[in-house]
Amino acid sequence: MAYSNKVIDHYENPRNVGSLPKDDVNVGTGLVGAPECGDVMKLQVKVNPATGVIDDAKFKTFGCGSAIASSSLATEWLKGKTVDEAMAIKNTDIVNELSLPPVKIHCSVLAEDAIKAAIADYKKKQGVERSAEKAAQPTA
Amino acid sequence: MSSSISSPTLQVCRACSGGAPVDAHFCPQCSKILALGRHGDYFTFLGLPRKLKLDAEDLEQRFRRLSRQFHPDYFYNATPAERRASLERSSYLNDAYRTLRQSIARIEYLLQIEGLAPKNPQEASRQVPPALLEEVFALNEELDEIRDLRASGASAEVWKGRLEGARQPIEAKRVEHESQLQELSARWDALVDAGAGESDRRAALEALRDRFLERNYINNLLAGIERELNS
Ligand code: FES
Repeated sequence: MAYSNKVIDHYENPRNVGSLPKDDVNVGTGLVGAPECGDVMKLQVKVNPATGVIDDAKFKTFGCGSAIASSSLATEWLKGKTVDEAMAIKNTDIVNELSLPPVKIHCSVLAEDAIKAAIADYKKKQGVERSAEKAAQPTA
Repeated sequence: MSSSISSPTLQVCRACSGGAPVDAHFCPQCSKILALGRHGDYFTFLGLPRKLKLDAEDLEQRFRRLSRQFHPDYFYNATPAERRASLERSSYLNDAYRTLRQSIARIEYLLQIEGLAPKNPQEASRQVPPALLEEVFALNEELDEIRDLRASGASAEVWKGRLEGARQPIEAKRVEHESQLQELSARWDALVDAGAGESDRRAALEALRDRFLERNYINNLLAGIERELNS
């Protein structure tokens, strides 16, 4: 199957591969998988607590070229976006940008899911953190 | 859910307008081959119950018998409608045989006709248990590290030992997975035999479906380890 140049570029020079400290309260981690092909994707965002802007994003994907390219592109797009803007990223945006063929759409779906999962994890941590602070106050 | 309740049990023969059972291949009245219109599924097409344990020899005999009966050569001088019917039945038969012959494809097909296949990739990926993803991710990372180790010139003894260590848990998982599939398949067959109710049947199918979510992960990991060992 022919990959577009953009896919090949992201595949050969993936941006932002790596990981962020999972236990940091400002880091959200999304780990998702596609059972039909057995691929896994981890995507992380680090949010600046003062501004609500994502200032770092990393990924690691064990999967096909399109999944790697989709997650690489996603991390590029995420940096500089607010959490809400990030939630608005659609898999179809990724499909268009990378010219993915129909059989590779599920790879972009995986990337969208990973973004959503990472943000959900971040929000959950923040929620827990805040209620922990509140709970801690009276005893202080 | 059970399609036998809602779907019609009769079809109309286009040649003689007589009624024929929905799963008949030839009109019982005029004995002409029937157009492949509404019909059941691969199981009923081959005259089999909707069960997962299947006698391979019996299946093959059924396939051969029907394939002779449908053979386009016999319809060389027939009407265009009959010729088309023979082609359609032949090709459907081939699909049915190819699918039911393999135990894994058979289970996947059963899940599909019972309405248990995920409707889209999103739905499928959300069903994967997080613990499995963690495990798969960690094992993939371990494989990466072993590759780096090899690339940096570690002795075969060292990297092979580590690879073996990575293989063991996943191999154990595969063995367990296969036996669970067998056990659940047997459970499904017993429910069919007993004419069990919808909720029991559904529970058995859901358990089967859940097992299928891990199958490709296990196979991919093992294939990755195999590749590493043989390269
Ligand atoms: S083939 Fe599975 S994510 Fe691309």
